Amino acid sequence: MKEFNIVLAGVGGQGTILAAEILGTAAVKDGLNVRVSEIHGMAQRGGSVTSTVRIGNNVLSSTVMWAKADVLLGFEPLETLRNLRYASEKTLVIVSDERIPPPELAAKNLAYPSMSDIVVQINRLAKKAIVVETERLAAEAGSVLTRNMVLLGSLAAAGKLPVKTESLMESLEELVPTKHVEMNVKAFKLGYDYLRKRA
Amino acid sequence: MPDSRVLLEESPGKRVLLLGNEAIARGALEAGIGVVTTYPGTPASEVGDSLAAIATKAGLYMEYSVNEMVAVEVAAGAANCGVRALTAMKHVGLNVAADMLMTLAYAGVRGGYVMVTADDPECHSSQNEQDNRFYALFSNLPCLEPSDPQEAKEMTISAIEISEKLELPVLLRTTTRVSHTRGPVVYGELTKPNLKGRFIRDVKRLVMVPANSRPKHSVFLRTMERAKEISEASAHNRVTRESKNRGFGIISSSSAYNYAVEAADLLGLGANFLKLGMTHPLPEKMIGEFLRNHRTVVVVEELEPYLEMQVKAIAKDRAPNIDIHGKLGKAHFSREGELSTREVVAGLAEITGRKLPIDFKGIDEKYAKVAKDLPRRPPVLCAGCPHRASFYVIRKAGGEGALYPTDIGCYALGIAPPLNVGDIMICMGASLGTAQGISRVTGAPTIAVLGDSTFFHAALPGLVNAVYNSAKVTLAVLDNATTAMTGHQPHPGTGLTGMGSPSEKVAIEKVAEGCGVKYVRVVDPFKLKESQRVLREALQQAGPSVVVFRAPCVLMDVREKRRMGVKIVPYEVTEACTNCMVCIKLLGCPALLVEDGSAHIDESLCTACGLCAQVCPYKAIEAGSAGQ
Repeated sequence: MKEFNIVLAGVGGQGTILAAEILGTAAVKDGLNVRVSEIHGMAQRGGSVTSTVRIGNNVLSSTVMWAKADVLLGFEPLETLRNLRYASEKTLVIVSDERIPPPELAAKNLAYPSMSDIVVQINRLAKKAIVVETERLAAEAGSVLTRNMVLLGSLAAAGKLPVKTESLMESLEELVPTKHVEMNVKAFKLGYDYLRKRA
Repeated sequence: MPDSRVLLEESPGKRVLLLGNEAIARGALEAGIGVVTTYPGTPASEVGDSLAAIATKAGLYMEYSVNEMVAVEVAAGAANCGVRALTAMKHVGLNVAADMLMTLAYAGVRGGYVMVTADDPECHSSQNEQDNRFYALFSNLPCLEPSDPQEAKEMTISAIEISEKLELPVLLRTTTRVSHTRGPVVYGELTKPNLKGRFIRDVKRLVMVPANSRPKHSVFLRTMERAKEISEASAHNRVTRESKNRGFGIISSSSAYNYAVEAADLLGLGANFLKLGMTHPLPEKMIGEFLRNHRTVVVVEELEPYLEMQVKAIAKDRAPNIDIHGKLGKAHFSREGELSTREVVAGLAEITGRKLPIDFKGIDEKYAKVAKDLPRRPPVLCAGCPHRASFYVIRKAGGEGALYPTDIGCYALGIAPPLNVGDIMICMGASLGTAQGISRVTGAPTIAVLGDSTFFHAALPGLVNAVYNSAKVTLAVLDNATTAMTGHQPHPGTGLTGMGSPSEKVAIEKVAEGCGVKYVRVVDPFKLKESQRVLREALQQAGPSVVVFRAPCVLMDVREKRRMGVKIVPYEVTEACTNCMVCIKLLGCPALLVEDGSAHIDESLCTACGLCAQVCPYKAIEAGSAGQ
C-alpha cells in the first residue's frame, strides 16, 4: 500500500489528539502499519496544535513532509490556513466552521477573515476545500466537545481513507469514556452523513 | 489511551497502538521492574503517568519524587538491594540528577536500573534542546536509543538485561518524536515484579570515599570494555539495508534514522544503512568495517554531531581514506531544532549532487503568501486560570520598577502581553536564586515567581539561602494544587501519592516559616484588593518574604465541578459596556473576544472566575443569570 498522510490541525483543547489516536487504533485493527505524532505540554495551552497520522507499509517517520498530506483535517479555519504547507494540488481539505479568534486579533482590533476568503485561500494550494458545519452538528449531537467526532465522521465519508469505517467506530467506542460514547457516535454519524451529501 | 489497564493485558503477540512512552511502560512491565520513580516533564511524563495508574494492580511501587535527583536516589537505593528499577525524566531533569549519575556510575547497581531521559529537539515544551547522549559519554554509562515505540519497549527490556550483566545503570534516551509517536507495539510476556530487596553491606563497593572511588574507577573502566563487546554483538546495532551500491553508506540512530530511510528512498539512493540502537559505547569494530566497505558515509543524526565525532575518530584508525559527511566541517544538516525528512532529503541531495525530488522552494513561496498575514496563536493561560489573577496583582503591586524572575511551569506564559510578568527564566527553581543576585546589585524590588510543584522541586535551598543571607526578595508561589503543565500530577502539597493513596500534605507556608522566613502570607488571587495589599506589604520587608497565591488549576476545578453536577454559568457583558476594552487590554483572557467592535464573552470558554468583572471600570460585566 502506498502511504496515506493525514494532518489534523487545530487549537489546543479541541480534541485533535484523540481523533488522531482513533485513526491510529483503527489502522492497527485493520492490520496496517501506522505512525501518529502529537505534541503535549506547553504547546497545547490554547496554542496552535498539529497531529499527523501516517498509514502505509513503508512508513517510519511520524511527521508528514510539507506538501505530502492526502487529507488536511482542519479543526479551526485559521489553523487550517497555517497548515497549508502540508497541502498540494492533490490534498483534500476538510475544514470546520468553528472559528476561535486568536487573542492577537482582539488585541489589534482586527476582524476574523470570512469563511469564503478562507476557502479561496485553501483552493489556491489544495485540490478541494469542504466546509463542515461542525458547530451546528456537534451541538445537535449534544456537545461542542464532540466536534472532533463530527470531523472524523466527515473524514470517513470523504472516501480514500485506508481504514474501515467500522474499525473507526470500534476504536471510538474503546477510546471515548463509556458514558459519552453514545453522544460521540451520534456526532460521528452526523459528520459522516453531512459530508456524504456534499462531497 | 483512556485506560492504562490495556498495558497490563497478558496476551503476548497482541498488536496494540501505543505512545512511545506507554511502550516504555509496557517494557517495564515485561521486564519485571519493581520500583518506578519520576518527576513529570514533557516529553517524558506518560512513562510515569501510565504506570501510576496501574501500579497497585501490577504489584510494583511507583512514586512521583520531589525532583529528578531524589527520583534517581530512591531508585538507585532500591536497585542496590537487587530490585529492578526505572526512573523517567525529561532531558533537563538529568541535569538535576547529574550529581547522582556521575558517581552512581562508579558504585553501580545490583538489580537492573534504566534511566529514561527524553530529549526535546525544537524545544516544543522545554527551555533548551541539549543532547543527552553526551551524558552517556560524560558518565561513560551504556546508552540505548530507540527510533519508534516498538523499539522503545524492546530497549527498555534490553536496558535492564545489560544493566544486570554489567551491574551499571543504563540510559534509555528518547526524543519527542519517539516518546510522543504512537505506533503498533507487539506485546511480549509480562514478568511479575519482585519488590523484595536485600541490602548487602559492601563498603568498598558502595561508599564512594576517595580510597574506594579510585579502585572503583578502574573497575568501571574495565566493565565498560565488556560493554563494548555487548555493543558489537547487540541486535540493536545492525546493517538494516544492504544494496548493491557499496559506495554509499548512512549511519544513523533514533528518529533521525526514520527520516534518513525515507529521504534516501525519495532520492532513489541505493544506500546501505547502519542503524545504531546502542549508542554508548559504540560498536567500534562494526562501524570500522562498515566504513571500510564504503567510499562515502553520511552520519544522519538530530541535534549534536555526537555519532559523527566518534565515527570520525574510529575512521582515523580503521578507515582513514573515507569521506564522512554530517554536521562537522561543511554542515549538511543543522545542529538546531528537530530534523525532518525534508532536511535530510536536502542534505543528502547536497552531498550526492542529486536533484531535489520535490520543489521545496515552490512550496515555500506558495505557503509564504498564505502565512504572511496569519495572526499568531501562541499558547496562553487558560480562561479562568488563577495565574492570570496572580499576575494582575503582581504587576499592580510591583509596577514597572520591580523586576520579575520567573520559573518553569504554566506561569512562564505570564511573559506574554498584556500580563508581562517574567524578566528572566533559566531552569527549575532559578527564579528565587537569580532574584537574590538581581536584588543585591540593583536594589530594585524583586518578585520571584514559581509554582507549587516547582517550589518543592527546587526552591528550598534558594529559600534557605535568602533567609541566611538576608536577601530582600519576595517569593510569589502560584499554588494551583497540582503539577499543571505536565498533566496534573500530584506533588507533596496535594496530600496524594502517585499510587493514589493519601499522604501528609506538606504546606508551603509552613515550610517557608520553618526555613525562617519572617513574612509569610497566603492569599486568594481572585481577591484582587486584599492580595495587592499583602504583596505591597511583603515588598516592604527588610528580608525575604513569601506570598502564596492559592487557587486550584481551573482545568481541575471545572472537571471537579462537572463531576459534582455544579453548573458553571458564564459571565455576561451588559449594556453598561462602553467598549473601552480595558478587560481585554489588562487580562488577555481567551474567553474575552471582540465581536463587531464590542467586547464579548465566549460562553463556551468562560469558567465564571469573575476576574474581568472586577477589573471593568464601568461594572459592565456581571455573573450570568443561573436560571437560563
